[in-house]
Amino acid sequence: MENTKLGETTQEIKQIDTRATSVNIIGKVIHYAGIYAVALLFLLAGIILQSFGIINNFLTTQNMMNILDAVSMLGIVAVGMAFVTYSGHFADLSVPTTMALTGIIAVHMLQYGFLPAIIAAVMAGLLIGLINAVAVGKYKANPIIWTLAVNYVTLGVIRLVWVNKQIYPDMIAKTQRASDLFDSIYRLRFFNKIALPLVILIVLTFVLNFVMKRTKFGMQLKMTGSAQKAARFSGINTERIIGMAFIICALTATLAGLTITSLSRVGAWYNGTGYDFKAVTSIVIGGMTLAGGRGTIIGVLGGVLIIGLMNNIMTLLGVGTFSQDMIRGLIFILVVGINAKSLRSMGRDDA
Amino acid sequence: MSDEVIRSAESFGVALEMKSVSKQFVGTLAVDNVDFNVKAGEVHALIGENGAGKSTLMKMIAGSFDDYSGDIYINKKKIDLHTPAHAKKNGIEMIYQELSLAMPLSIAENVLIGRLPKKGLFLDREQIVNETKRCLEMVGLDHLDPMLQIEEISQHEGQLVEIAKALGNNPHILVMDEPTSALSREEVERLFSIIHNLKKSGLAIVYISHHLPEIFEVADRVTVLRDGKKIGTKGINEVTSGELVQMMVGKSVTEFYSHTSHTKKNKRLGVEELSRYGFFHNVSFSAYEGEILGICGLSGAGRSELARVLVGLDEKDSGKVFLDNKEIILKNMGQAVANGIIYLTENRNIEGLALRLDVKENILAGLIPELIKKGIYQEGEGIDKVNELIEELSIYPPDPSRIVGNLSGGNQQKVLLAKWMACEPRVMILDEPTRGVDIGAKMTIHQSIERLSGEGNTVILISSDLPELVSLSSRVLIMRKGKIIKEMAKEECTEESVLLAANGEGL
Ligand SMILES: Nc1ncnc2c1ncn2[C@@H]1O[C@H](COP(=O)(O)OP(=O)(O)OP(=O)(O)O)[C@@H](O)[C@H]1O
Ligand SMILES: [Mg+2]
Repeated sequence: MENTKLGETTQEIKQIDTRATSVNIIGKVIHYAGIYAVALLFLLAGIILQSFGIINNFLTTQNMMNILDAVSMLGIVAVGMAFVTYSGHFADLSVPTTMALTGIIAVHMLQYGFLPAIIAAVMAGLLIGLINAVAVGKYKANPIIWTLAVNYVTLGVIRLVWVNKQIYPDMIAKTQRASDLFDSIYRLRFFNKIALPLVILIVLTFVLNFVMKRTKFGMQLKMTGSAQKAARFSGINTERIIGMAFIICALTATLAGLTITSLSRVGAWYNGTGYDFKAVTSIVIGGMTLAGGRGTIIGVLGGVLIIGLMNNIMTLLGVGTFSQDMIRGLIFILVVGINAKSLRSMGRDDA
Repeated sequence: MSDEVIRSAESFGVALEMKSVSKQFVGTLAVDNVDFNVKAGEVHALIGENGAGKSTLMKMIAGSFDDYSGDIYINKKKIDLHTPAHAKKNGIEMIYQELSLAMPLSIAENVLIGRLPKKGLFLDREQIVNETKRCLEMVGLDHLDPMLQIEEISQHEGQLVEIAKALGNNPHILVMDEPTSALSREEVERLFSIIHNLKKSGLAIVYISHHLPEIFEVADRVTVLRDGKKIGTKGINEVTSGELVQMMVGKSVTEFYSHTSHTKKNKRLGVEELSRYGFFHNVSFSAYEGEILGICGLSGAGRSELARVLVGLDEKDSGKVFLDNKEIILKNMGQAVANGIIYLTENRNIEGLALRLDVKENILAGLIPELIKKGIYQEGEGIDKVNELIEELSIYPPDPSRIVGNLSGGNQQKVLLAKWMACEPRVMILDEPTRGVDIGAKMTIHQSIERLSGEGNTVILISSDLPELVSLSSRVLIMRKGKIIKEMAKEECTEESVLLAANGEGL
């Protein structure tokens, strides 16, 4: 054992950090850039499969545009729902029927014109968001149970009011112009290539990324998501912050609802089906952990891209939809597991 | 010196022996080649500055790490301790520095977790209650209902419940990491008599604390760590407290106690007939510019509850609060902060810090509204302040991007204080501000408190550390059972007089 005589060590030790050891930089880089690296890997996989002739038409401009088109709606939902995840409240499961309801209301209101239709849809989305905000933010309802319940209540409302009817924009619209405008939400293309939903997604990503990382709301959300009680004790109005996260989510779901209804040209209860789980999966793949307070919107976009590439390749391979669902489920489970483990090894575990 | 001690230890039956153990975290070598042992029937104190590696060394025997190096022997048998379950199986129990009770569960469920008695397929409720009562009795908490939830009992009771939980498993090695930091003096006395009995029954006890007088009261031997290395082991009768301090910090330190006298200037905070039923009643007092007003009371006297109402965390039932002679009504803590009133909570883990965020983010948490320029969060503007505070409070490691949960307990406490100092408040209500910090850091914190009051700010100091309370305060209010029963001027205050008054005697 070590025997240090008293008085021998009179030097101040704290000046230099004697015990500092190096931090693994590569690990950090992989952690942050990893999502896009994985997306690149999927792209590479597609190219390889194509070069062996296993799939065709993967690396074509048309197919790449298809992938982007296909993910843009999912992306719009995911970047909004990411706020709920970031706030430490896992997911908003009322998204599917929020999409359906806002779409159906828009179609219904087309009889008064395009603008009234959009406004009514946004109001409906806002209402659902507010209901979630008050219940989860203020009254501390369990977010999963509550939003699941809201999802079914909304579904009930749709079926009650529209009695299982599907309604078609071109039959209801006040003028042909209103119908055309609604149609073009999904179909408008800039330079004949870039679709409006994609533009919406890109703009949303940058705006929301900025909101999350650089605004007062974003910083307070981070604190709330990381440690809700400590945030409240720091003087942050956590009720309002959590509520805002749900409202943002409902509003992006509204945008996606309008888009998907425009795409399918029919207002129907099933329009948003499956978007809840797909969104959570891309959020988690994008590096945002379910524990809250960690991850970025840019990362979530990466997650969405990965899902898009994966779906595309699986479809080109001829994998059926059910198998695709199953594979996505397995990947979700895998990523949540890996995430927990890698955070622990980086010394960022919460336990 | 210590060779002899070690040899005699061997003949006594060493319960636990660690040979050249080390533990490395990402970025820090926390324990560096340390030898350590405890005998059956002794209390071995482990001391050192904040971040010296005490908790890490002990977590090693509690099975927290699966990647330590070195050998651990229990009853002379070499054993790998890689999981907490493994450690428990080998008779090791640890009471962690940070409370680890499950809040929504009852006392009974917490105490008996992992060994809930069953009758056939069902839980045996009667047995649960009885067994819990037996454990609670060992720590003098037999008056508590085992079915109460942890949330419903106070923090110091929680600490004792934790000890009861550990004892319930009949360990033969018990590690206590700063068990007294949340206890009042009487509770400490009670704990010591418990420790004394345990020792007699042959338990090997490791005891971590920053209070040297306590060490001299309970320990048989003491080991000093500094920067992850072992500096030495001594029999308690071979050393003086001055020598121990020198071993800990590598230089001699004299305790800093201020003698600044405060003159009453303008009234800053006025409290009139304030009540929150069931917690405190008709409390009235004033606090002045530039004064440190101490509040003394036994645990349960309503001190923290009063503080929480003053900053709007809880609602008052009646009464008025004035700031600079204007009545203020605070609905939440945000409004308090906006008015320059802050509250440093006694519960740093749950209410104080976001353990998953880094030092910088925690320190700037209360400042977010001020760091917004043209709608954009300017973290860069806060970083100078963060670095200043890290230096003023000597937070270790001095790195703003460290995750707070990975800092040592004392350094977490400094981050909490830094967070509120960053807000430059005019009224600071500090609830146990030096909990778990080492002697040097305590001095630093005291100096900072002095500086803040010297600049004209009002400090309300709630502390169970009587020397601290008596030396810093310009006046002391004595709270007992939800009432202010006495006000004592600086001249009247001694540790004894204040303690007597808090007990309702000597009035
Ligand atoms: N999980 C972790 N990841 C990285 N570093 C850590 C981790 N846990 C502890 N450390 C570092 O290891 C060192 C020793 O910490 P430890 O908690 O053992 O100190 P301590 O002696 O118990 O201090 P205190 O008196 O403040 O409780 C500190 O520098 C701390 O920052
Ligand atoms: Mg410690």
